[in-house]
Amino acid sequence: MADLLQLLLAGASVGAVYALTALGFVAVYTVSQVVNLAQGEFAALAGLVAISAVGGGLPLPAVVVLAVGTVVIVAAVMQRLTIAPVKRMTTLLSIILTLGVSTTLKAAMLLIWGAEGRGLTPFGGHDLTVAGVSVQAQQLWILGVTAVVAVAVGWFYERTLAGKALRACAEQPTAARLVGISIARASLLSFVIAGLLGAVAGVLASPIYFSAWDSGLALGLKGFVAATLGGLTSVRGAIAGGLVLGVLESLVAGYVDSGLRDAVAFVVLIAVLVIRPGGVLRQRAAAGI
Amino acid sequence: MVGTRGVGTVAAIAALLVAAGGCAEKSGTTGTGNNTGPIRIGAVLDITGAGASLGVPERMTLEMLTSQVNEAGGVNGRKIELITEDNRSTEDGAAKAMNVMLSRNVDIVIGASRTGPSLAMRPLAESNNVPMISLAANAKIVEGAKWTFKTAQNDSAVLQNIVDHAKSKGWKKVGLLRDSSGFGEGVAETLNELGKPSGISVVATEKFAPDATEFTAQLINLRNARADMNLIWGIPPAAALAQKAYQQLGITTPVMQSHGIGNQVFLETAGTAGDGLVAPLGRLVVADQLPDSDPQKQVLTKFLVDYDRTYRARPSTFAGHAYDAFQLAVEAFKAAGTDRQKVRDHLERVKGFVGVTGVFTMTPDNHSGLGKDALVMVTVNAGSWQILPGR
Repeated sequence: MADLLQLLLAGASVGAVYALTALGFVAVYTVSQVVNLAQGEFAALAGLVAISAVGGGLPLPAVVVLAVGTVVIVAAVMQRLTIAPVKRMTTLLSIILTLGVSTTLKAAMLLIWGAEGRGLTPFGGHDLTVAGVSVQAQQLWILGVTAVVAVAVGWFYERTLAGKALRACAEQPTAARLVGISIARASLLSFVIAGLLGAVAGVLASPIYFSAWDSGLALGLKGFVAATLGGLTSVRGAIAGGLVLGVLESLVAGYVDSGLRDAVAFVVLIAVLVIRPGGVLRQRAAAGI
Repeated sequence: MVGTRGVGTVAAIAALLVAAGGCAEKSGTTGTGNNTGPIRIGAVLDITGAGASLGVPERMTLEMLTSQVNEAGGVNGRKIELITEDNRSTEDGAAKAMNVMLSRNVDIVIGASRTGPSLAMRPLAESNNVPMISLAANAKIVEGAKWTFKTAQNDSAVLQNIVDHAKSKGWKKVGLLRDSSGFGEGVAETLNELGKPSGISVVATEKFAPDATEFTAQLINLRNARADMNLIWGIPPAAALAQKAYQQLGITTPVMQSHGIGNQVFLETAGTAGDGLVAPLGRLVVADQLPDSDPQKQVLTKFLVDYDRTYRARPSTFAGHAYDAFQLAVEAFKAAGTDRQKVRDHLERVKGFVGVTGVFTMTPDNHSGLGKDALVMVTVNAGSWQILPGR
């Protein structure tokens, strides 16, 4: 029993990071049908900036602000330079564009931080053991912050004017424009949100899962699979998708074969695309966020 | 630096676009055995990817030694030209980089940093008759080889030390958590074979990818195997993260690690979780604790001083593998010029060569040249390496 719980905890902790990454995909895709392949790089960049900031002697809150701020700026600049100028955006075109950005970011990170992966100092708190399950303080941080962020994102989309405007753009772009919502501003805002979510994921994950110039690729793929589980347009679907994927990986590694861990995501992706292309956890066909 | 930048960026783009060619560099008109012009040393290293913590200091070492030799006037009046390629810690990257080296007509190839990429390069070295010195551990790299040599201690020498240690402690059942790449291949088999006379055997094997960061599943299975000791076989940062997870899960079974952990990255990453582990390592990490009578002391001290002066850092045992490969190559060039056949023959006759990794004596059947005495049992105490007392 303790083994199962331990595996579930490890899975949920990884899954929370996937969920945040998946949310970033969803935030951008719903507004502009852009699949942002640089989403994983946002997390890697945030982790690396945070590590350098800690090395420079900044206190944790300042580190978080700096890392998140940097990535948000990068995301906004990326949107202005590569997404905004395109008149007729298609998903395929967006994949090519964001792949280019992702490669550029990776090369820049490799030049600045070098090839070796590093981990951020844990946020603090004591590791504890509950019912034979050892719990790392950082895992609690990951789960707690992800829960808060998930609630906040849900509240933003459902309760605030800006959030409602974004949903309007997602559901009826023409009608949204007719009532005076700027699609361009909405797209920029969606990238800022994606940058924020990616940065939070990167900073949270770094102490346990490490940051390196190339760590965004795997994370981005897993996050994309998690988002696909929820149909790419659902906040709740993305969170659930991330958690399910993380737990599934952990259980497969524990009870089947640890070598299959990284295969899980791809098997899931293929299964979803073949059986339910609209997303397993999606109930309605409309682009309901 | 130029090497990494170009290759890193090109590599990333190439990999993503699934372009095959990669780094197509054409040059090299000098034929083999040309005894004028610069001597070309090709280095194929794991500079990015899972082996970065090995490849980066190895490259730094080679660059340092190249400029040292050139400043002192070169080898028999000929300068050394170092050509570095990144294999991205992958087998196909290593084979591609090896082809680049062949097209540039290098006089010797040093690398790769890890077993898998080295094994991918070996057939190319053998079929093109180019001497190659690998920096990796697995004995398979040089088994039955004609042109391939290596400087890292064989895994069998490491495992013999581990078996001896287990025997002295009375441990019989060994749980193994190993790297799933070439470095970890054959560890369980060799351990069973060496442990047989003393009744030591592997009771559980778990694997992890070289770039893994999550070990809960494997360690739970290892915990349930209830072995007398557990052996973690990998390289940092993965080996250090496994060590950390081991402690976090509250597993109290004694733990040993391989010679793959001999760098500062391991200590920094593992933190206090490393305290108490035992591993057979090269003498470099404990050079200051060695008696003056140790035959390697002088070489080790010089390397430490030189490296510190150039990079303000402490070299890892991996840097030591590169140091030895370079020095062996230079020795051979000094004695035999750059005729590939003669260089190879010279390497095979190396006897009592005092290096950083050990004292090398090569024979036609042994292209590794090191025995189990090239390692000392080391433990971690308060975040630093210490020779295990009482041996």
